Amino acid sequence: MASYLLSRTIQILLTLFAFICIVFFLVNAQPGDISNVYAMNPELPPDARERLQSQFGLNQPLWQQFLVYVKNVFTGSFGLSFSHYPRSVADVIAERLPRTVALFFTATVFSFYLGFMLGKIIAWKRGGWTEYATTLGGVTLYTVFTPWFALMMIWLFAFKAGWFPIGKFLDPVLWREAPIEANTLFGRMMLTALALSIVVFAVFLATTRLRISGARLIQLGSLVVAVGVMIGIWRATGTGNLAWDIIKHMVLPVLTLTLISFAGTMLLTRNSMLETMREDFVLAARAKGLPEKAVRDKHVARNALLPVVTSLVFSLAFAIDGGVIIESVFSWPGMGQTLVAAAIAEDLPLAVGAFVFVGIFVLLAHLAVDVIYVFLDPRIRY
Amino acid sequence: MSGAPLLAVEDLTLHYATRAGEVCAVDGVSLTIEKGQALGLVGESGCGKSSLALALLRLQPDNAQILSGKVLLDGVDLVSLSDEAMRAYRWNRIAMVFQSAMNALDPVYRVGDQIIEALEQHVPSARKQLIERVQELYDLVNLDHSFIARYPHEYSGGMKQRAIIAMALACEPDLIIADEPTTALDVIVQDHILREFGNIRRELNMSMLYISHDMAVIAEVSDVVAVMYAGKIVEYGTAEEVFTRPIHPYTQALMSAFPSVTGEKHELATLGGEPPNPLGLPPGCHFHPRCPFATDICAEQEPPTVRRGEHWADCWNPPEEQGDD
Ligand SMILES: Nc1ncnc2c1ncn2[C@@H]1O[C@H](COP(=O)(O)OP(=O)(O)OP(=O)(O)O)[C@@H](O)[C@H]1O
Ligand code: SF4
Ligand SMILES: [Mg+2]
Repeated sequence: MASYLLSRTIQILLTLFAFICIVFFLVNAQPGDISNVYAMNPELPPDARERLQSQFGLNQPLWQQFLVYVKNVFTGSFGLSFSHYPRSVADVIAERLPRTVALFFTATVFSFYLGFMLGKIIAWKRGGWTEYATTLGGVTLYTVFTPWFALMMIWLFAFKAGWFPIGKFLDPVLWREAPIEANTLFGRMMLTALALSIVVFAVFLATTRLRISGARLIQLGSLVVAVGVMIGIWRATGTGNLAWDIIKHMVLPVLTLTLISFAGTMLLTRNSMLETMREDFVLAARAKGLPEKAVRDKHVARNALLPVVTSLVFSLAFAIDGGVIIESVFSWPGMGQTLVAAAIAEDLPLAVGAFVFVGIFVLLAHLAVDVIYVFLDPRIRY
Repeated sequence: MSGAPLLAVEDLTLHYATRAGEVCAVDGVSLTIEKGQALGLVGESGCGKSSLALALLRLQPDNAQILSGKVLLDGVDLVSLSDEAMRAYRWNRIAMVFQSAMNALDPVYRVGDQIIEALEQHVPSARKQLIERVQELYDLVNLDHSFIARYPHEYSGGMKQRAIIAMALACEPDLIIADEPTTALDVIVQDHILREFGNIRRELNMSMLYISHDMAVIAEVSDVVAVMYAGKIVEYGTAEEVFTRPIHPYTQALMSAFPSVTGEKHELATLGGEPPNPLGLPPGCHFHPRCPFATDICAEQEPPTVRRGEHWADCWNPPEEQGDD
């Protein structure tokens, strides 16, 4: 298992390197001399220009520029952003990346869970209007024109109903006298979410491993208690309302992303379930006298899960696509929006930096899926 | 034989609905198995052996329907039980060793846990006792205890087969259905496991329904033999009677496909002609297009039952009864 993960990690590092090279050559293949764009930018003060020139080696031949670029990537120094001058690219990305990660991660978890549950149910009860309605609804959402759908969601839930803010990451009025930086707070929120999921996961694992009776109740109870404790702590620190503001801004984009993407998982799960149901071990599970629900969940769904998890990797590309659109429509200041804005503003350092970090993010997500898969499938041992 | 039999199948008929039409896979089958007895069910591929076996546990596929008949286990009709009540019979009273035993273990769980899963369902007790029971079972089928916590892919074919047998024995069922359990193994391993399985079964006084298309295997394991052709039992009798004085021409043909039933094994030589098309069975005796003894009446009317004591067969032209010797 360890050697498998090691070889996957090496593969991913190689892919990352290839990706970095491609980004460099794409940028250099643009019409016009790239060094002009960097060095002749009129918004750039002279001292910054000199620093830039030496940092990127703009007066050197291309292959040397490439070496400097690779070195810069691996040390994380992408220089200064033009459009956010004088902030460094690394600084802008450090602010934006967590927001994208949070958005994606939450939406992916929700859409995977929803898709898997629904897929499981419609595969088990073939025919009938439930299957028909769910499939039709899911596929409609999956294929709908994303910007239009996102705008409809805003119009319906933010504009008409007024339940959620119309867009953006936070409400500036509320934050004017805030005692804390939005990013610091957001970092704490993410830590809280991490702690919460670790606690819940540990309880879940413990109750199933130890075969405690009433596991469901204990799991639910611990979830409620953990959430309660977290809320209590946030209240006590006096920043609870600020955190709540950010959460309110997150709901609509997460919901939209979830709705446009769950159908992929759902249909895959359905097919995978139908395939697995033909296996002999399923017949064996029935012959053992297990209740239908145990046959479905413990044997069919558990095995059907494997190819669905693998497919998560492929759906990442779809998620990135949708993510850029969603971030733009919801004015969510994350990596997708940054990338688009940097491209429009010809802010090359930022665009390159954003590209590279999105690449790293996707590859790390790959690696995460691989790790999860190793735990799900005992046959992987090479 | 004392009292009522353990299992009595009465006039069981099972159809499959297919796009091409109804397939009558089990056609009015009746048979009985006494306590501790091994019944060998033999017939060509596609004659309905597995369909019959699955119907006993009510595990037939969704497109199958039991049209009529009873499956009486100790006098209780399983066909008319509720789903819930039926579940209590599965594995606890009737366990099964599947045709493709190789895939009958779930790849993502440890083998020991899969046996424990069956035990927990029917004879729940503390985890420690369950593990002890699994150890007992592993001793019984000659598997090392260290394999209890391993996954199926870590087992060899023969070991999987043993684990499956251990699983079938777990709840001490009254009846074990073994549907060609050893076909995927090489002959030596197969022989070995078969013999051990037979011994364990006799020791524990369990009944068995052993299904195969291989006459030699049937001869080795069964007390009583039923020969199946196109969904019907065409001959039934003690193993000795059927193998020494077969009545039905189909049985004779099957035996000549295995020249030395008790000696070394030969490849299954195909019988003359094609197995019947289940969608368009020939009228009269279904075997008549392939039968060397067929006469005109065979193609027109269903054959009568010829009885020689407990031994019977359905045929118009049975061979002359030989004198006792
Ligand atoms: N699910 C199904 N739907 C339709 N027809 C089926 C189905 N399962 C089996 N059959 C048909 O029913 C008949 C009996 O099949 P069955 O599997 O019981 O035969 P078998 O004697 O066990 O054969 P084998 O020795 O190959 O296992 C065959 O003609 C087969 O094609
Ligand atoms: S009834 Fe006729 S066709 Fe059928 S087995 Fe007997 S002799 Fe052959
Ligand atoms: Mg079969």
